Amino acid sequence: MTIVIFGGAGDLAHRKLLPALYNLHVDGLLPPRIAIVGVGRRPMTDEAYRAFARDGVEKFSRRPIDAPAWEAFAAALFFGIADLDAPEGLAPLGARLDIVEHERGLNGDRIYYLAIPPTLFQPTVKQLARSRFVPPSDGRRARVIVEKPIGHDLASARAINEAIAEVFDEREIYRIDHYLGKETVQNILVMRFANSIFEPLFNQKYVDHVQITVAEEEGVGTRAGYYDEAGALRDMVQNHILQLLAMVAMEPPHSLDADVIRDERLEVLQSLRRLEGEDVDANVVRAQYTAGFIAGKAVPGYREEKGVKPASRTETYVALRVCIDNWRWAGVPFFLRTGKRLPKRASEISVHLKEVPPILFNADPSARLDPSVLSIRIQPDEGFSLGINSKVPGPNVQVYPVKMDFHYGSTFGGTSPEAYERLLLDVIAGDATLFMRRDAVEAAWQWVKPILERLEERGDKGLATYPAGEWGPEAGEQLIESTGRRWLAP
Amino acid sequence: MAGAVATRTWRESAPDAIESDLAALWRELGHGEVKIARAVMSNLIVVRAPSDQRPALANVIAGLPLDEVGARHPSRTIVLEHCNRKALDTPFAAGVGIVTFGPPASRYGVEQIVVRSACPESSLLSMLRRLVRGDVPTSVWWTEDLSDGPPPFDPLLTIGRQILYDSRQWSDVARGLATILPLVDDPRVDLADLNWRRLAPLRRALVHARGPLKGDGWRGVAIEVDHAPGEAAIASLLTGWLRAERPGDPPPVATAASTQHDQQAIVTVKIADTTATLTAHAAEVAIPSAPPLVVAVPQESYADAIAAELRSLSPEVTLLAAMRALA
Repeated sequence: MTIVIFGGAGDLAHRKLLPALYNLHVDGLLPPRIAIVGVGRRPMTDEAYRAFARDGVEKFSRRPIDAPAWEAFAAALFFGIADLDAPEGLAPLGARLDIVEHERGLNGDRIYYLAIPPTLFQPTVKQLARSRFVPPSDGRRARVIVEKPIGHDLASARAINEAIAEVFDEREIYRIDHYLGKETVQNILVMRFANSIFEPLFNQKYVDHVQITVAEEEGVGTRAGYYDEAGALRDMVQNHILQLLAMVAMEPPHSLDADVIRDERLEVLQSLRRLEGEDVDANVVRAQYTAGFIAGKAVPGYREEKGVKPASRTETYVALRVCIDNWRWAGVPFFLRTGKRLPKRASEISVHLKEVPPILFNADPSARLDPSVLSIRIQPDEGFSLGINSKVPGPNVQVYPVKMDFHYGSTFGGTSPEAYERLLLDVIAGDATLFMRRDAVEAAWQWVKPILERLEERGDKGLATYPAGEWGPEAGEQLIESTGRRWLAP
Repeated sequence: MAGAVATRTWRESAPDAIESDLAALWRELGHGEVKIARAVMSNLIVVRAPSDQRPALANVIAGLPLDEVGARHPSRTIVLEHCNRKALDTPFAAGVGIVTFGPPASRYGVEQIVVRSACPESSLLSMLRRLVRGDVPTSVWWTEDLSDGPPPFDPLLTIGRQILYDSRQWSDVARGLATILPLVDDPRVDLADLNWRRLAPLRRALVHARGPLKGDGWRGVAIEVDHAPGEAAIASLLTGWLRAERPGDPPPVATAASTQHDQQAIVTVKIADTTATLTAHAAEVAIPSAPPLVVAVPQESYADAIAAELRSLSPEVTLLAAMRALA
């Protein structure tokens, strides 16, 4: 097998892909016969590429370099050049791949990883077809991995999907949402469907509301060019958060087959109540961070960040109240929020059960009992906890909220595999469960479309601000507090 | 026995690495043969004043019964030594540790984070928000003399649901009251005064002896409060309680520590012909022509008292009323 990484000398390869492949190698999970070929526009020797990869592993791998393991891994690393603008731009790469595969005795199965900007997806897959990389001959297999963002809106997502579909069969297309590769996200299904305690509670009869928070401490960093065009709604909600929502809210699948699970996730997306016009104004809060403090250090506001337009109205925070119009979740609000420059990096789903009646231990209106909350911590400190009320030991009946807490780190020891490790391994194994199918991507865009349109229509109106280091704007608090609830800080 | 430390791990950390260093410590503990439950019932922010006597970061917690409190009320303990010096380049230094308690079959561990902060007060909240867990209550334990320093930082009032302090530490009761009174009606926080807890047996004994304060047994009587040296704050609290509960009656007269004071008495109150005394062991009410009424003082350690206050989630309305009466 050959893994061909377009954008092989880029940031994603450096930080995530090469360290993930190295860890899979250390774990003995890569196929014994493999080549990893980074592809870029500028020439680079294999040795230089190995040094680039080693630097990435040293800086970003969850494991340190092990010399013998590294040597074996590095021997499988190569670099090739490609010019996507030239009609025969992939010819040198094709020749290089043929030689590498021949020398290493590989079977010619290939995975093409498009770690490149979305604008290059279509030209790249067209070139792959034109250069007869796809479909492969002699029964060899070719798969493609596409990184988010898949499009800028529904139309562009459809165009990308259409272009890829002209070259690859849907079964060979792996659209990555790395959140789905996280251990805790995978555990949502296990938690729900491998324990008899939780699933019976996951419905409108017992659940008061659900919160999903994806908080980033970082600012826009080096992604200003992309982010200023995208904003939080496109960057986080349309993909990661809606996928998390689908995992929490989906019906039990009848099997673990990839398409069965993906069908159930799609059902949730299709059941989301459409927000448009004034509904958007009432249920969506967007905001931009201003100068503030993160961990005690002064940080600039979004408009002062390098690469951001001084009058930018791109939202760096968005909070939404959404409803799922199906039998299970009727009347249960889902509160979603994400933002940059929030106090800490944390992604968490919390399922808030209904309050007990205001009698017995919950009779005092000045000291209401905390409702039980199931919190699923996706990152960091992966795990989950269940908050329950307990009597404090002693002669008085005093109630205190306590936790039943599960932490991956201290329970299983060691570090969990990175999301990209799991996802790359699944592509190698041909398992698409944790990848987004075309219909799901387009359903998510379909839902987001009227919201984007309304926000565009309103321009600056309704764009709130929040100081960096706060949990968002006042309007974000109001969105939930107006319903008698409050955000649970991770 | 609660409070006996089984193991202790500690490492110097960095502002950005507190969570990852704690996670690494937990992973290391997870490799051991003894399984350790991670215990966290609340966030406890412990505020210490900077001191030249404690140059080493690990010594910031010296002299505080943190282990004992942690064993009784396991909390993510964040010890904050804050000096508001804007000129310093580095925002703060940090260290993290895990202290475990209990026998091998039921061992539990508590996180301790020490932060030496030198950032502007306005940025303090951004630091604390990333350290507290949002799914448990947050209490602030002000370990310093509130009458001899700045009032609690506003960020603490924003993040904590409870401010715990000990008015017995006050070197100047009037100044201590002036500091704490603005917080009495602050909807963000509840107040918990360890000294108020000490007064509880005396209050119970008085109500038992003379009936509820709003009843006839207290109408129109003169009241005098006398206290031992260094116990002016508890006398003041007692006075506030008596005032709050008897609004139309003559206010109690508080006297300074008298030289004639019973050596064992913490505070003494004379109500007409009744004399009540609080000592370290009992609250005793002497009534003419009747045997004395005695309420024992619970023999709890300082850590016991702190843990008990941390476990209380209801506002202490009687304390707040007493404080208002002192305003």
